[in-house]
Amino acid sequence: MRYDPDLAIGEPARITVMQGQVYVGSGAPEILTTVLGSCIACCLFDPLARVGGMNHFLLAEPTAGRGTVADENYGVYLMELLINQMMTRGGIKSRMKAHIYGGANMHSGMTRIGDANARFAVKFLDQERIPLARDDTGGVLARRVDFDPLKGRARSRIVEEVVAMSRPISRPQSSGGELELF
Amino acid sequence: MSENIHVLTVDDSASMRALLRSALTSRGYDVSQAEDGVAALEWLASNGDNIDVIVTDINMPRMDGFDLIEALREQSRFRDCPILVLSTESSDEKKARARSAGATGWIVKPFDAEKLDTALRRVTH
Repeated sequence: MRYDPDLAIGEPARITVMQGQVYVGSGAPEILTTVLGSCIACCLFDPLARVGGMNHFLLAEPTAGRGTVADENYGVYLMELLINQMMTRGGIKSRMKAHIYGGANMHSGMTRIGDANARFAVKFLDQERIPLARDDTGGVLARRVDFDPLKGRARSRIVEEVVAMSRPISRPQSSGGELELF
Repeated sequence: MSENIHVLTVDDSASMRALLRSALTSRGYDVSQAEDGVAALEWLASNGDNIDVIVTDINMPRMDGFDLIEALREQSRFRDCPILVLSTESSDEKKARARSAGATGWIVKPFDAEKLDTALRRVTH
């Protein structure tokens, strides 16, 4: 029998999505949650398939001698991972809508890496022709985001709790990029 | 006549295509691009004689990477052309399927530009 979230009883499971992670709803009642400083969380939702997911990333700042553009490779990877996992659960890319959260510039005097992260997310979604339904980024304060992957509803609020300054994860835990010859 | 290595990259993500183009052109490659297996086959039908290596994603609409590799290996002129898979997937099952289809090798995303350069030179020499 198809699961109907409107008839669900009891509290949904809370799934914390940490930096470098992607989570797509299992079909059971869940709330995906994360706390963001400079990081970005992108929530995607396909309203027909009723499948949603969230990722959480922080682009690396440009290194000396490498120009002024943040390293977008890892961001593209985590966005593609989210889209692919949505597709394995029945999502179709052309039906997906996006929310983005985070991208705060929490430390004055430093590179505005929060802005760079938000710009990357907007550019990615534009290039992939995924409509941006909600953009809650920028400012100087941390946010907590809760996302219901069955309904596509999100709540974002400013939090006073101190968010430890994140270091960007530029590679997944498993090794990537190596050639495996057949 | 250019002596650069000519790469065809096949990926449905415009963002990934832009990253690959930037990484490869800055390292001296000639780069052509297609957005899925169907577009790749159409492009190769008229431009295939000039291609040295193909780098393809797996998860794509219309025609995925597995079907693209099989279709290319059925054509005599692409029987020996190196074909590398560049994918977020890393399961042994998917790799075995690519090997069976005729892929030359597999690289897991996110790609490292230097390692991709090394891999491409290795399979084209």
